Formats: sequence, structure tokens, C-alpha cells
Amino acid sequence: MKMKLFVTAIALALSGAAAAQETIKIGVVQPLTGPVAYDGNIYANTVKMLVEDMNAKGGVLGKKIELVIEDGACNPAQSVNAAEKLVVRDKVVALLGAFCSTSTAAMMEVARKHKVPHITGISTAAQLTEQNNPYFFRAVATTPMLGSAFGAELPKAVKAKRFAFLVINDDWGRSMVASYPKSIESAGGTVVGTEFFQSSELQFLSQITKIKSMNPDGIILAANTQHAAALSKQIREMGITAPLMGEGSWTSDSYLKLAGPAAEGVYGLVEYVYTIKNPINDAFVKMSRDKLKENPSKFAGAAHNAISIMVDAIRRAGSADPEKIRAALTQTDYNSLVGNIRFDAKGQAYGQNVYLAAIKNGVPEVVATAKIGKP
Amino acid sequence: MFDLVIFGQHLFNGLLIGCAYALIAIGLTMIFGVMNIANFAHGEFYMIGGFFAFYLVSLAKINYFLALPLAVALVVVLAVVIQQLVFKRLRDAPVMTTTLVTIGLSILLENLAHLLWGAQPQTVPNPFPTSPMSFAGIYTTPLYLFSMAMTAALIIVGHVLIQRTRMGKAMRATFQNKEAAALVGIRIDSIYLYAFGFGAALAAAAGAILGGFIPVEPTMGGVATLKAFVVVILGGMGSFVGAIVGGLLLGLAEGLGGGYFSSGWKDAIGFVAVILLLLFRPDGLFKRG
Repeated sequence: MKMKLFVTAIALALSGAAAAQETIKIGVVQPLTGPVAYDGNIYANTVKMLVEDMNAKGGVLGKKIELVIEDGACNPAQSVNAAEKLVVRDKVVALLGAFCSTSTAAMMEVARKHKVPHITGISTAAQLTEQNNPYFFRAVATTPMLGSAFGAELPKAVKAKRFAFLVINDDWGRSMVASYPKSIESAGGTVVGTEFFQSSELQFLSQITKIKSMNPDGIILAANTQHAAALSKQIREMGITAPLMGEGSWTSDSYLKLAGPAAEGVYGLVEYVYTIKNPINDAFVKMSRDKLKENPSKFAGAAHNAISIMVDAIRRAGSADPEKIRAALTQTDYNSLVGNIRFDAKGQAYGQNVYLAAIKNGVPEVVATAKIGKP
Repeated sequence: MFDLVIFGQHLFNGLLIGCAYALIAIGLTMIFGVMNIANFAHGEFYMIGGFFAFYLVSLAKINYFLALPLAVALVVVLAVVIQQLVFKRLRDAPVMTTTLVTIGLSILLENLAHLLWGAQPQTVPNPFPTSPMSFAGIYTTPLYLFSMAMTAALIIVGHVLIQRTRMGKAMRATFQNKEAAALVGIRIDSIYLYAFGFGAALAAAAGAILGGFIPVEPTMGGVATLKAFVVVILGGMGSFVGAIVGGLLLGLAEGLGGGYFSSGWKDAIGFVAVILLLLFRPDGLFKRG
């Protein structure tokens, strides 16, 4: 009898200890392998760094935050499996991810099914926030929103009239060529041609030659790191001197290093660039340089937005209950890296800044800032 | 409006890429012809060739022109190890078995590259000036010209080796009939080793040379394998000349097709060509031999 009591006491003590160590689990799905693995890893490493920092400062609601990161490989099926595993087995109370819009579209249905709040900081395909999914939030402007914010500025900012598009052949590139021309034309510019490339391609000579024959004085591109570097080099090698403007990784360290002199004078149409001046960003850049040994790219900025907004919502919810976190997310009014962010009724962020940055001596300098209006 | 300069540019672009396709495909067609292996890991040798060249030049600070052959030699060592460890044991295995093994090998090598070198794309530093040069309005760079000359030279060297040397003769004999070749005293195992090493060397050379302007990253092998298969099917499985002609044709078709039709359909052009060819000439343009 005595023995039994003793065992019960130990068991109680152990469970008490377990309760004290309980964490708040947040699940992350990012492409750690596959075609966009490089940028996906930047996101994952940045979230890890930020959570370590938050935990060092006491975590949230007196508990430590525990990250569980899974590889979605930019593949919808794999991203769904990863999200299912995170919710069912790891019991995460919130989800971040995935990277590619197609994967996010698949993943957000897992969030809806299990009633877990889900934020993406990267996927820009417009239809994601049209799914009536109350658990899904997007902390980044869509391509059409960027198009209407930037399109009207471009002809003046880069002193060009005749624009050509050379974009990746997916929903991102396609929605760019559907949204920019209207605002470009309203500002007095014209669109002289549109060319596409596949994500598997790394040489674009036939597209570039075709664009050259259209004689544009500005080229608008949609591409991430490895495509961006190859594109800017090959465009210059074909003897085209018109300014380049790109959505994607056009201001990241890895692009600048890869493209070398071909990056000079390129404009990035970006949601985040590390040279913006505000106290939150100053601290973030310093931390990234110390711990990750590089300047944060726009994907790092996206990671910062997503995790900070989620943790802010958990703090305001006062509980790790997914339903309460979701309710808190709808009331978001957060001062982020890139200005104040709120969500509209569809879960789409607005109010934040976006930047037109020009590369000068290998450093992106902000030349124009635009604010994302309420959609 | 037909612009001759633009046409010339498309033609040049097509030849540049076509030479590279041919170089990669020759290795694939040789391995298929001699060893009867459809090597889905072929593109990985192309990728690893690029990475070796990158590390030799940027980390080991070896002269660019020395680093290229060195990178190729290192890939050959790797290929020999793979041949001795894996394919030697599968000499008489059915083609389905070896195909599955090569697919596994390709996944293994790609992920090893991820693990060892990371996903960050790299370009092989090279001593050529980056400024473009123009001939009668057609733009190119010294690196493009060098790449084209090197790939063309390697194709010719490969051709001479196969046609004129004793080893090449032995390889061709094995091509035609493995048992008969063994009967006249040709050591099949060493022929396999040479074919596999030589095939891998050509793919690695393509990776090292093109790495100067096409970023090198772990997943690049998959597309290269796919294109090489298109070329090999176009040219006829196992045909050396077919691989050369097929490579140039695919490069030109993509260059001109992408230029004059729609670039969104560029990749489809090669595959449509293969489907048409399989319908009307299932043996390829050149019969094996």
C-alpha cells in the first residue's frame, strides 16, 4: 500500500513537471528540398532564430514556443501530408507556410478541416484569400495589389515608356501580366510584349532575343534567386541595356552575389528590403547578420511578419486554444517590420509598405515606397 | 516582318544549347547502347561536374582551364566507383531492375548534393570578360564562344575515339553483340567500365563548361536527364551520330520555336517532336549501331 502511494506520488510529481515544461507548438511547412529549397531554408532558419530570441525573452504566455518544421518541397501533396502530421501528431496550435501558392492552397484546407489558424507570409496568388476559409490569413500583398501599387509608379520612376514582360510560367507570373499592364497604361506607358519561361529553365536566350526584337525601354520580370541571376546576366550578355524591374529575389544577398555586375541598376519590386530604416528592422538586420551571417532577404522578412503576427495573436488571445488565436488574428493591428498590418474580412493583410529598390554598388537602396491600400 | 539579325541570333542560341544537349546525350546513348542501361542518374553527373568545377575554382583557387579537366576527372572517379559497386553486380539484370536502380541513384546523388553543398545556386567563376561582343548584330560573349567551341571539340574527340581507336572498336563490337564480343576476347567488364566512365565524363564536362553561365544547383540534373532522353530517342537509342544530330535539332527547335512561336511552349516542342517521331519512325532518326 505504501509502495503504491509512493509510486502515485512520483507519477503526480512527474506529470506536474511535464505540465511546467509544456510548450506552445507552432508548425511550419516550407520547401527545404526541391526547386525553391534555398529560399525555403532562409525562411525556416529565420523563424528558428526569431523563436529562439522570443524564448530567451520569456516566450509567450509564460511558456516557451516550440517550432516543428516540416519539408513541403513546394509540392501540394507533400505539403498537405506535412500539415496533417503537424496538426494530428505534433498537436500544433498554429500553422505557418507553405511557400508556393499551389502548396499553400492545399495546406489551407488542412487548417480549415482541423480548425487551426494558418498564416502564409509568401504565397501571393490572389485566389487564396477568396476561399471563404476563416482559418487562413495572408501577411503579404497579392501580385494584383503590388501591380496596382507599383504599376502607376514605374514609368516615372525608371523613366521608361515601352515595357516588356519576361516572367515565370506559373500563377505568379501569369497574375503579374494580368494585373500590371492596366496601371502602367494609366500612367502613360505601353506594354510591347510578354514572354514566359519554365521554372526548370536556366537559359533564356530565345525569350531574350525575342524581347530584344521588340525594343522595350524597360523589362519587368518575375523570378526567384537562381532564375533572377541567370536572367540578368543573360539579358546583359545579349546587349540589352534597358532597365530591369523584378518581383521576387532581386534585392537578396544571394542574388547580388550570383549576378555580380549584372545586378547593378536593377530595380526590385519588393515587400521587404533590408535597407529600410526603422527600429524593428534595425534589430532584425543586426540579429540576422550575427546569427545567420547574411542580410535578411524578402523571405526572411516574410518569416518575420508571419511568426511575429502569430505570436502577437497568441499573446492577445491569452490562450493556446486555436479558436481563440483565430479570433485574435482577425483583430490584428500589428506594427511590423514594414509598417502597420491589419487583416480584412477575407484574411488579406493591408496597410503595410512595399518598396521599389534600386541596386547601387551592390546595395539595394529604396527609391520609392508605396502603401498597400485596403482591398 | 522577318529580321535576319534576330533569326541569326536565334540560330546561334539554338546551336549553343544544341551542342550542350548533344554532349550530355552522347554519354547517355553510349551507356544505353553498350550496357543496355537507361541511366536516369545521367543528369546528376552533369550537376556534380558543375559543382566540382565551382569548388575547384572558387575554393581551391585552381586555374579555370585546369579546373575543368580536373572536375571531369573527379566525376570519372565517382563513376568508376559507382560502376564497380553497383552496375557491375547488375550486368545480367533485366532492364527494369537497372532502370529502378538508376532512378534511386539519381535521388541519392541529388539529395547528397543538397546535404553537402546546399541549395544555393552557384556559378563557376571564369576568367572571361562579361561584356557582350557583337558580330553583324548577333550578340555573344567570350564565354559562350568558348563553351560552344569546347562542346563541339569534345563531340569530335568522342567521335574519333569511338571510330578510330581499338577501344572504340571494342565498344562498338559490344554494342552489336555482347556474347560475340566476349567470344573474340573482349573483356566486357572493362568495356562497361570505359563506357560508363566516358559517358559520365562527357556529362560532367557539359556541367563544368555551362556552369559559367547556367547556375549550378542540386536539382538541375533532372531536367538535363529529361532533355538527354528526348535527344536520344530523337536520334535513335544507342546511336552516337543520332545523339549529335538529335541534340542540335532539339537546341535549334527550342531556339527557333521559342523565338517564333511562344516561349511558354518552348519545352513542349521537344516532347511533341518525340511523340511524332515515335508515331512515324519508332527507331529514331538513326538506327542503332
